[in-house]
Amino acid sequence: MNSLSTSERAFRLLNGIVCLYKPAGVHLSGCRHSLLLKLTQELNLCGVRSPENRVVISGDTTKELNVKVESSYADNVLVVGPRYQTQDIKCIWTTHLGKRVSGVCVIGLNKGTKMARILQNNYPLRTYHLHGQLGIMTKNMYIDGQVVEKGRFDFVKRENVDKLMSTIQASNQKKMFELANVDTQTQTAYDLATKGLIRPASTKSPLIYGIKCISLDLPNFIIEVNIINEYESYLLSLVHEIGLKLRCSATCTAIRCIRYSSFTIQQALLMKHWNLQYVLENMRECNSSYKQLSELPSFITEQSYFESNQKLTGVQ
Amino acid sequence: MSSKLSSKLFNLLKKTSCALCSKRYVGVNVKPENVDPFMAPYSESPKDQQRLYVWGMAEHGALGDLKIRSRERQIQFIYRPVRLRFSYSHKIKDLACGYGFTVYAVESNQYKLFGCGLNTDSQIGYHDPRKGYPLGLILATVPIQLPLKEPNTKIKAVAAGRAHTLVLTNTEGVYALGSNCYGQCGRKIIENEDFSKLRNVNNITLDDGISKIICGQDHSLFITKAGKVYSCGWGADGQTGLGHYNNESQPTIVEGDIKGEKIVKVVSSADCVLALNDQGEVFGWGNSEYGQLLLDSDKYQVNKPRKLPLSKGMGKITDIGATGSACIALNDEGVVFVWGFGILGKGPEMNQSREPTPIPSILFGRNQYNPETRVKSVYSSVFHMAAITSEGNLYTWGKNKWGQLGLGHTKDQYFPLQVSVGAAVKRVSCGVDHMVALCIPYQ
Repeated sequence: MNSLSTSERAFRLLNGIVCLYKPAGVHLSGCRHSLLLKLTQELNLCGVRSPENRVVISGDTTKELNVKVESSYADNVLVVGPRYQTQDIKCIWTTHLGKRVSGVCVIGLNKGTKMARILQNNYPLRTYHLHGQLGIMTKNMYIDGQVVEKGRFDFVKRENVDKLMSTIQASNQKKMFELANVDTQTQTAYDLATKGLIRPASTKSPLIYGIKCISLDLPNFIIEVNIINEYESYLLSLVHEIGLKLRCSATCTAIRCIRYSSFTIQQALLMKHWNLQYVLENMRECNSSYKQLSELPSFITEQSYFESNQKLTGVQ
Repeated sequence: MSSKLSSKLFNLLKKTSCALCSKRYVGVNVKPENVDPFMAPYSESPKDQQRLYVWGMAEHGALGDLKIRSRERQIQFIYRPVRLRFSYSHKIKDLACGYGFTVYAVESNQYKLFGCGLNTDSQIGYHDPRKGYPLGLILATVPIQLPLKEPNTKIKAVAAGRAHTLVLTNTEGVYALGSNCYGQCGRKIIENEDFSKLRNVNNITLDDGISKIICGQDHSLFITKAGKVYSCGWGADGQTGLGHYNNESQPTIVEGDIKGEKIVKVVSSADCVLALNDQGEVFGWGNSEYGQLLLDSDKYQVNKPRKLPLSKGMGKITDIGATGSACIALNDEGVVFVWGFGILGKGPEMNQSREPTPIPSILFGRNQYNPETRVKSVYSSVFHMAAITSEGNLYTWGKNKWGQLGLGHTKDQYFPLQVSVGAAVKRVSCGVDHMVALCIPYQ
């Protein structure tokens, strides 16, 4: 902070992506607002430029004019508001996280909005920890909902849960090739597999790449799932369905995103650290890891993304 | 005296005074309710929980008693891993899949060896519920009696071939069960011997002690504590490595290029043998019809160990495997190399390679999100190969006629694909038409 003498220099550094820890119970737009508010407040505190003066030329035009420099109300902070306002900073998120989801949230600021968009176009893999509770069913499939059913859960064993997990994973592996429209017996499938994860052709259908139970402490359980194209209600219904398949009921108690692409929960900034100093430090870290990502051969840059899209439309 | 008291006294008498009953219960420890050893867990600790998964051909019973009444429902194969309850009650030390049968070494004081599956050559012991009529097919996991000299002897490892089983103990050498038609059990070959009614078990001991045992198709290999290799059995392709193509009934030291080397691992599933020394160099002998041994000449059989001319770029080899027609090797950086003929794991168009070629690591789950994932060990059977990664994921590829890949179908798989096991895989054993995986739950 000491190295930043003026707010302009700080503002110029605010180009790139940051990795935040979104708390549960807050909308993503609310998170964006509080981040930008905090950033602009700190920028304003760092010392802003003084208001520009206004040159007043008055008097009779046939005679010598009276030139005066006055303070201008049009540039006064008290009139036009603070120098830095939330709408001055461009800000978009990559994947939308629902209100109940907490965890890693990657946000692009200013020139980083382009990076965020490219990142999103790369179909990044997300890893979630789904915390659930057995023996209870609620109307909205989340723990804060109205309870509609309570039941026994003492017959559930770790083996049953693991068996179910492997079934889900196997069926999704099958679905993976179906969604990509390839037969596993062909050379095309091999070529596709050597390029990386086989991704679905559309962005609509969720696909699970890996799912496992990492803790079962009745009635609570934690499930780790690697997933793509997911949304909040899908994750809620996944927990609900797991409960039904285990022949009891289950409700989600927490959804935590622990990894987004290569951004992990370790580098995510907590809400109490959403200030200029931490954001700038985090941004430097994230930008370098983005650079590493973009150098990978499988990374889709915006240019190649549009080219492949054009090819597709050309074929159609 | 009230009638109540007298009835109480009568009850007391009834419990204790019966001479027959008291005799019967003398010296019997009172056991908890779940006395069935198959129903009680071997360990209460949540950290020590092994799990066994099996899949593949089910008709011959090598998958054990699955409690799904496979015979009644006429299930021929199970092409998805299913959990076997056996490991819930028995702590498994080692397992081996042969041609249609499975053998388990169990840490226990009572029964130390279990087996199930084909028993045409008494390879899983002599079992006759009707006297004089031994079973040729055992559909449940049964204990195998071994003539152990000491009751405290522990079984260290098991190995299974086409129709014979080797059992390594800590103090009494190796016990060999089953067919000895080529001398693979290490005893004299008897013409027209009937192995189906075989009761005797041959004990093999070597002077410098045996540390590892390996079964090929019809030959046996022993690694001593000093790293020397002994072999016996069928030698028609030179797979015994003894410098001739005859059958050998006495374990004999294998020389050639491995003389003086410390061999740490030997693999063989059919008739090609690979050996690995402590420096990471690979040796081979036996069949080389498909170029498994990287020979320059048109020779198809090698009867003496020969150092394979692997390029320096492959680095130090840490694990090896040999199928019937191809070979697989793993180096210390976690890269898997394959060569030979058949389904190599590099797509359907590549079915032959004279040079070791790497399988892309991305097929084993190493991508930009998991850069740390690497292959830890490789396994092979006659028709398929398998690899386990550091995260405990199992990948299989190869022929899949009996569903032995565990991928949910019986179509051949041309590149490594993850098997959904439902636990972290520690070790597998590949049989010719089935597979067994020893796992622990995800932590």
